Amino acid sequence: MKVVRILTLAGGFGALLFGQQFKFDFDRLAAKASDTVDVSLSGSLLQLGARFLDGSDPDEAKVKKMIAGIEGIYVRHFEFKQDGVWTQPDLESVRSQLKAPDWMRLVGWKSVEDGESAEVFLRLENAKMTGVAILATEPREFTVVNIVGPIDLDALAQLGGHFGVPKLKPDKGGKKK
Amino acid sequence: MDWLEQELRSALARKEPPPGFADEVAGELAGGARTVVAWPSRVTGRWLAAAAAIILIIGGGVGYRRHRGIEAKRQVMQAFAIAGGKLNHLQEHLKEVSQ
Repeated sequence: MKVVRILTLAGGFGALLFGQQFKFDFDRLAAKASDTVDVSLSGSLLQLGARFLDGSDPDEAKVKKMIAGIEGIYVRHFEFKQDGVWTQPDLESVRSQLKAPDWMRLVGWKSVEDGESAEVFLRLENAKMTGVAILATEPREFTVVNIVGPIDLDALAQLGGHFGVPKLKPDKGGKKK
Repeated sequence: MDWLEQELRSALARKEPPPGFADEVAGELAGGARTVVAWPSRVTGRWLAAAAAIILIIGGGVGYRRHRGIEAKRQVMQAFAIAGGKLNHLQEHLKEVSQ
């Protein structure tokens, strides 16, 4: 896979710490990853990016619509050349912060056969969604996403088949946790 | 496109010369006409230099902002691709399990 490395210059270190709804510090994983995607977009930069989205492009139009109420988006995605680089404590360091009453675990899935897992958490304030956390792992991948603000999860999932990310047809090995 | 960019585009847009301009120039050249170009005075020169500096600064600012916007857009699309891909993956697995 093509190596992708995004270093966010804007937003600053302060935004990295305070814009996110939970802390994630994966310097150890970043040092060992073969591919890293590191996106930290806070409100003003996100809205600036939205202004450059082309409304006549169907995918960009959808993203533009979804961004409207979002205050920030933070993504850490690591790919490794071998299994076992990320560990359960890495995952637990994030999961331990996503607890009630602020967070609610919406759904989780784990495949023992493939060693994959994914969980979605919602942040709720006065019964209103104010954020989403997605934790997804594969033996050689580790992904954490925090979207700050309300977002249509179905619309977001529909984008999954675009941008070169193929829609997946799962094996039979999966089970709902 | 914001107002500043529009202003700059309008100010720097290509404009066609008035009709007969080329003939007039050619005529003057053929007739050996000499044009005396007056150098701007010191004060006018300062104003011109200041105006040029302001245009450069504004142009640079617009360019930098545009660069940042395009980079932000690229990151937005990448972030949504990853988030959407993971969510789609999860949704497909859950559909499979529920069937």
